[in-house]
Amino acid sequence: MTEPAAKSLTALSGGRLLRDCLLLLAATMAVAVACSMVGVAELTANVWRMRLVRLATAGLVGSALAAAGMALQALLRNPLAEPYILGVSSGAGVGVLVGSVLVARGLLRAGWATTPALALIGAVASCAVVYGIAQRRGRLDPYVLLLSGVIINVFNGALMLAILLLSRSADIINFVGWGMGQVSDATDSSLLGLCTACVLTGWAVLFARGAWFNAIGLGDDVAGSVGVPVHWLRVETFALAALMTAAAVALAGPVGFVGLIVPHVCRIIVGADHRRLVLFSGFVGAMFLMAADTLCRTAGEWVSVGSLPVGIITALTGGPFFIHLLRGRLKETAA
Amino acid sequence: MTEQHVIQAAGVEFQYRPGQAVLRGVSLTASAGKLLCVLGPNGSGKTTLLRCLLGRLRPDGGTILLDGKPLNKYSPRGLARLMAYVPQTPRSAFAFTVRELVLMGRMAHTGLLGLAGAQDLAVARQAMIMTATLPFASRALEELSGGEAQCAMIARALAQQPSVMLLDEPTSPLDIRNQLMIHRMMQRLAHDWGMAVVCISHDINLAARFADELVLMREGQVLAAGTPAEVMREDILQRTYDVRVELISTGDGPPVVRAN
Repeated sequence: MTEPAAKSLTALSGGRLLRDCLLLLAATMAVAVACSMVGVAELTANVWRMRLVRLATAGLVGSALAAAGMALQALLRNPLAEPYILGVSSGAGVGVLVGSVLVARGLLRAGWATTPALALIGAVASCAVVYGIAQRRGRLDPYVLLLSGVIINVFNGALMLAILLLSRSADIINFVGWGMGQVSDATDSSLLGLCTACVLTGWAVLFARGAWFNAIGLGDDVAGSVGVPVHWLRVETFALAALMTAAAVALAGPVGFVGLIVPHVCRIIVGADHRRLVLFSGFVGAMFLMAADTLCRTAGEWVSVGSLPVGIITALTGGPFFIHLLRGRLKETAA
Repeated sequence: MTEQHVIQAAGVEFQYRPGQAVLRGVSLTASAGKLLCVLGPNGSGKTTLLRCLLGRLRPDGGTILLDGKPLNKYSPRGLARLMAYVPQTPRSAFAFTVRELVLMGRMAHTGLLGLAGAQDLAVARQAMIMTATLPFASRALEELSGGEAQCAMIARALAQQPSVMLLDEPTSPLDIRNQLMIHRMMQRLAHDWGMAVVCISHDINLAARFADELVLMREGQVLAAGTPAEVMREDILQRTYDVRVELISTGDGPPVVRAN
């Protein structure tokens, strides 16, 4: 065998991953600085601080949803999977709303960790139900899983509306913005710190599982045969996706479709290797949501209606994107 | 290869639903240096047996030992260093290149991120040379023909450096040339590389020609087991497939089966 390819068999190296990481970090910082300077208000120290908090929040939310979406898509071998569509975000949303009602009625003492804790309970409960429905004798049906997610979303939506009936009218107005996914410029620093820890931990573990995600793309049996503990990987990925989504929802409400759009764009840029994809999706997700939120903030400033919920932009772009991917998937199935 | 690896199933029982047994006391032994083909009609439990041997399904009864140790005592990583698997259809949900695919076979030998070192690249390269897949190392799996893609899957399995190789109907989507090539390759893995090779097959004639041992299954049970000369009898094949068969002598090789 004397093919030229014989001399050039190369593989992904640690150095390449480190280079990727540094470049993406620099790009994310550049986007953050650029976004912080956009706007009609004068850049006083206070405005600057508020914008930075807001950008940090948006970046964290985008990173969490995109990395969780990438991991779920890899695990389920389905580009349509993401926390919002699988009902994880709405589950976390129910948790947050239940908490706010309990606090308003004096049944629960509000602390800085109350919101993320309840969001996590809601996200985990939704994950458990969706996973429980789709799992049969150790096999997970990706399509049953997606359909279960749709049903759980409807159920959680009804729960949220029911909870609103118990709320005061002022809270209902707040909810409308929050329910669409809105980044605040007054996020509590303790909450931001806790959510940062959750997101970074989840992202780091998912990154370390990149090689397992690659193998799972060949089917559960092949993945198991090369040494992947398939059942453990499923439980771990769902748990981490729930944790990261809960952190995102606690910060900005259920922002949709970030976990769908960003991983797809990353696949076009990077290829199929999930060791790079999980890394890229976290950074690109942060850049995407910082840019989208800056657009919402400045648009709100121009028309003097305050800030627009960033979830509007992600839904307006993500909805058609989902249909585009679904049509492609259906064509593949028909062929 | 000095070590004599062996996988033994004894009295394996399995059911997906209560009362619907798929495997009923199946026993077989696959030894190093031999190609064992499992034959039988659709629904006879062949693939379920293979998934039990692979450790993906836990039998409801009986034991499966790999080198004398129960399968469930191995870690996934430990098992992957000893045993590899090739599925019926080579497919991937993501557009991996052949190189990326073959290097996945090194996962049980590498660290947390599965980053391949010089040794891993050398093993992967050897596996690709063995399967003639090196010329298209940079092409995506989906761009390959069925035969090429199956060879890439076998290269991925070889990169694991296993002692036992399990293949689930690896030639069913392939043309006759590729069927021959894969059977020759399996025979070489057993005879030249000293592996214990277990292959599920639907092609009686190719199995009889290349295998050292045949196991015939029907309705979750082993009807007959032995060398091709012992098993290739009209009465056994008729009982296995429930169809009249005729054995036509070919002179030098085993007789050819014709179903009537």
